[in-house]
Amino acid sequence: MQRSAQPGTASKNAVDPLAEPDPRRQKRRERILQIGTLVLLLAAWEFAAHDANKLLVAMPSDIALATWDLLVSGELLWATLDSMSTFVLGFVIASVLGIVIGFAMGTNRTVEVILDPYINALYAMPLVALIPILMLWVGIGFLAKITIIILFAVFPVIINTVTGVKNVDKHYLDIGKAFMASRAMVYRKIIAPYAMPYVASGLRIALGRGIIAMIVAEFLTSISGLGGLIINYTNAFETAKAFAPVLVVAVLANALTLLVQKVEARFGRWRRR
Amino acid sequence: MPKLSVRNLTKRFPVSDGPSMLALDGVDLDVEEGEFIAFVGPSGCGKTTLLRIIQGLETATSGDILIDGKPARGPGHDRGFVFQQYGLLPWLTAAQNIGFALEAKGVPARQHGDITERVLATVGLKGFGDRFPHQLSGGMQQRVGIARALAIEPDMMLLDEPFGALDALSREILQNEMLGLTERMGKTVLFVTHSVDEAVCLADRVVVMSPRPGRIRDIVPIDIPRPRARLGEALRDTPEYSAKRQLLWNQLMELV
Repeated sequence: MQRSAQPGTASKNAVDPLAEPDPRRQKRRERILQIGTLVLLLAAWEFAAHDANKLLVAMPSDIALATWDLLVSGELLWATLDSMSTFVLGFVIASVLGIVIGFAMGTNRTVEVILDPYINALYAMPLVALIPILMLWVGIGFLAKITIIILFAVFPVIINTVTGVKNVDKHYLDIGKAFMASRAMVYRKIIAPYAMPYVASGLRIALGRGIIAMIVAEFLTSISGLGGLIINYTNAFETAKAFAPVLVVAVLANALTLLVQKVEARFGRWRRR
Repeated sequence: MPKLSVRNLTKRFPVSDGPSMLALDGVDLDVEEGEFIAFVGPSGCGKTTLLRIIQGLETATSGDILIDGKPARGPGHDRGFVFQQYGLLPWLTAAQNIGFALEAKGVPARQHGDITERVLATVGLKGFGDRFPHQLSGGMQQRVGIARALAIEPDMMLLDEPFGALDALSREILQNEMLGLTERMGKTVLFVTHSVDEAVCLADRVVVMSPRPGRIRDIVPIDIPRPRARLGEALRDTPEYSAKRQLLWNQLMELV
């Protein structure tokens, strides 16, 4: 290789104070900071809880052991399956219902005028207030759980879908008109893709609210699933065991949000970054 | 019989808290088959509104649009429209955007591939079918827009300031290709532009419009012989070109 072709070789090893920091090193530094903080927090908790009343406060090491026990016994797994099957069903129904109602409201002024006040009022009110009355109607079983999850999750989907559908750029609708696209084509190829990002952010909000609804429903109605475990172990003053399902709920909520984001990104491939 | 007749066309836009705005006032125009008509005029002269009414994107307040002597109400597959901007659906690839127009026309899906490939090749975008609009330059996006209009094999092409958003170089290249394309195909073309230069290069007749209310002020024939495409830059050196350019320029300056 020619020497003259590499004028930068010598200076490459020298530290350039103006150079951008290596992004990979920067990333690693940040990770170490975050993990370090977590370890420190857990250690402080362990230390502080050491002398506290074991009935009220659990140490991280106890929680880890309790979680392991519940995993081995299968109790945690069954509770998770119980909660998740109800949640997924409720969330799917709420999503479909929300998108259909949102589309109807966004494309039909009459439907919008009739439904809008109720949707907005119900979205804004604390729906927990309705749960006791709901229990009178649908009991305390599976149906009650599903109903509560749908009630909590459906409104953000409706509201975001309506916003997306109504905001469709007139320029895009003009394309449909100029080339005489059928109504079905305009819905499928213009309105639906345009509204997609709005729907997706509605789904993300619905996800959070749906998980809250699931736990609340399990607290108040059937005392089953992960919420049921939390209630039962708290009532039994087995604080360490009560923390295990809390951990699972936290992990699940984050994993599901990540999943929705992935789906969103898959459908949003056409957008500029 | 003219290919297109515009008869006493009037368009009023409602204005909130005020008298309605007269965008077009008694516009009459005959366009012969295969003719290339350019519309120029200051903003607010109604040239885009006129084009949109002919396409059926807007309705006239009064007056008629006749195509082959028959009144045209609303859009039709006999007219291919090229938009100024936002003309492509950003969530569809170039090929899918063309497929959209074909599906809307009812062309069987198994023919879409061949037609799309052919029209993309016509506008010099062979092999770019699977690109999304944001992966294409402004000039390439507009080529896709033209390809889409060509795909439905319209009798008439309507273009609304198609090169207005492009840089000077892309603009000139596309003008030249447009010239070659229309001279080969012999389609009737209605072309809205704010560039006198573009109008003189491309058109058989230039319609000069005046604003408030929008009226046809003059119709200027451009007698540069065809085919002009092979002239290239020399087109702009012809005496007819400079004479007509000067004439139109003076007319527009009076209107501003």
